Amino acid sequence: MIIYLLVALMVFIGLYGIIAKKNIIKIIVGMNILGYATNLLFIVLGYKWNGIAPIIPQNITVERFVQTAVDPLPQALVLTAIVIDLGFSAFLAALAIRMYAKYGTFDTDKIRRLKG
Amino acid sequence: MNHSIIFPVVIYLGGAFLLPLLYAKNDLLAGIVTSALTFLSFLVSVLLGLTVFTTGERILYFAGGWQKPLGIALMVDPLSCLFLIITNFIAFLIAVYSITYTKKHSRAAYFYVLFMLILAGMNGILISMDLFNIFVFFEIASIASFVLVAFGLRAEELEASLKYTVISFIASTMILLGLAVVYGFTGTLNITAFMRIAAGLPQTHLWFILGLFLAGFAIKAALVPFHAWLPDAHSMAPAPVSALLSGLFIKVVGFYGIIRLATNIFGSIPQIRVVLLLFGILSMVLGGLMAYGQKNIKRLLAYSTISQIGYCAIGLGIGGYLGYLGVLLHIISHAFSKSLLFLNIGAVEYMTGTTDSDKLKGLYDRMPYTTALASTGMFGIAGIPPMGNFWSKLIIIFSAVQAGYPGIAALCVLVAVITLGYFLKLQRTVYYNKASDTAKMLEAPSGMLAPMTVLAFAAVFAGILLIPGIRSCCLDKAVGVMENFSYINVDIGD
Repeated sequence: MIIYLLVALMVFIGLYGIIAKKNIIKIIVGMNILGYATNLLFIVLGYKWNGIAPIIPQNITVERFVQTAVDPLPQALVLTAIVIDLGFSAFLAALAIRMYAKYGTFDTDKIRRLKG
Repeated sequence: MNHSIIFPVVIYLGGAFLLPLLYAKNDLLAGIVTSALTFLSFLVSVLLGLTVFTTGERILYFAGGWQKPLGIALMVDPLSCLFLIITNFIAFLIAVYSITYTKKHSRAAYFYVLFMLILAGMNGILISMDLFNIFVFFEIASIASFVLVAFGLRAEELEASLKYTVISFIASTMILLGLAVVYGFTGTLNITAFMRIAAGLPQTHLWFILGLFLAGFAIKAALVPFHAWLPDAHSMAPAPVSALLSGLFIKVVGFYGIIRLATNIFGSIPQIRVVLLLFGILSMVLGGLMAYGQKNIKRLLAYSTISQIGYCAIGLGIGGYLGYLGVLLHIISHAFSKSLLFLNIGAVEYMTGTTDSDKLKGLYDRMPYTTALASTGMFGIAGIPPMGNFWSKLIIIFSAVQAGYPGIAALCVLVAVITLGYFLKLQRTVYYNKASDTAKMLEAPSGMLAPMTVLAFAAVFAGILLIPGIRSCCLDKAVGVMENFSYINVDIGD
């Protein structure tokens, strides 16, 4: 139970970083924390205490394997999600550099040419 | 096994991979290849449509040749096939238009790569029946669209792209969290298998999942509390991208998800309709009012998109045969008209270099043909009788009256008048007044006019879909999917 509360805490920290912070770099860090929180939730869902790696050893029955091995599917999903997060972070970092060149600042309060 | 179902995705993914290797230096050839691939994909979706609409059957496909419950399930039914055909048809016209438009951009070949990635993502969403697969295609389409919004690298475009990216990241996180919750409760991500297990879950669990998914898709569909990114992103993107985003992207990536959630997956939860009605009314009224005061024509069109997607949400919220019919027809004819208008204003920007309604005057004298097409699109969205949007708005209003919401029907009429109002104002100040004497003729090149003309004809004749013989073989089947179909009945083995 406590680990799900940790995930919820991380989600809120990430959302706080995105919503409350004014610096683009801090917003990107907030997004990464939010992404990690989701990934952590996936991993926690598939985890078993003292579980074995999800590769069938030779001296074990299938039933016993299913009981002891950790669930491999969330790990595969998390790998995909990490790659997507990487795409977001890389693109935003490039965008931040370009915006610094145009606006001379990372402060989102000063980057306000679009309104209405 | 009918393998043609995966082609709409494979064609675009393959094209996006090969294009930078083969034609990175040759922008013209890259554009022609892209147009050819979009047309090929359109043909494939029409062929799929012939099968799906004549038999009324679903086409089910398990990727990789795995047995039934194991492979990733893909499915085309009349509803998704309707979206597939419209998407690829409009994408073809936009690709043809881009060949001329991107002459002023450097490195246009990369524009086409991202363009095809968006299309791969959109088509992938339409054919997937696996939640994680939908998420991945959702992200492919989204990330490609962020880059395309910032493609011109002007300061405002970067700012719009930043806003769009950060808000979209929250959307995708909501959907991923929803996926994690689904997996935690049911141990599967296949929609059918999920629904079979979810039937035994407590109602509160379903509410939690529905809330997460609805927040994610509503951000993409830009329903009003979630709309802040849309006016910036759609007004700053290059014109073909605006047309793609406004005409198709928010409907396929955002609204199609909401349709499936509200009808086929969580149709048993009636409260979702109240939420949709609320979002719909807010979007319709606020979008219409905000559009009224805009100086930048592309920004006006972006707010108009929010207003029109509000109509779709209202129709979906009311439900029933008439409501669903109105939603589908509204989505189709609005896709035609709004893509036409964004391409049109792109042609004006291409020739004059501005989209500011204060600086443009007397366009009818200078670009008569473009002006005629613009008027067609504007009357189309405002709902002047022979156009498709007139019939769809009429049907949505009828359905509201029939379902006992006369207040909503009155609001729909009021916003239709507001819509006509801001478009007439635009025509008066920009198109049909006297140009300064020194102004020269500036007619847009024929490479832009040809696809716009096709779109204009499509927008005028979209109402044909309502003629009983045609309606019963395509729209009625799609409406039937929304009314009766539940993923729980799909045969995926045990």
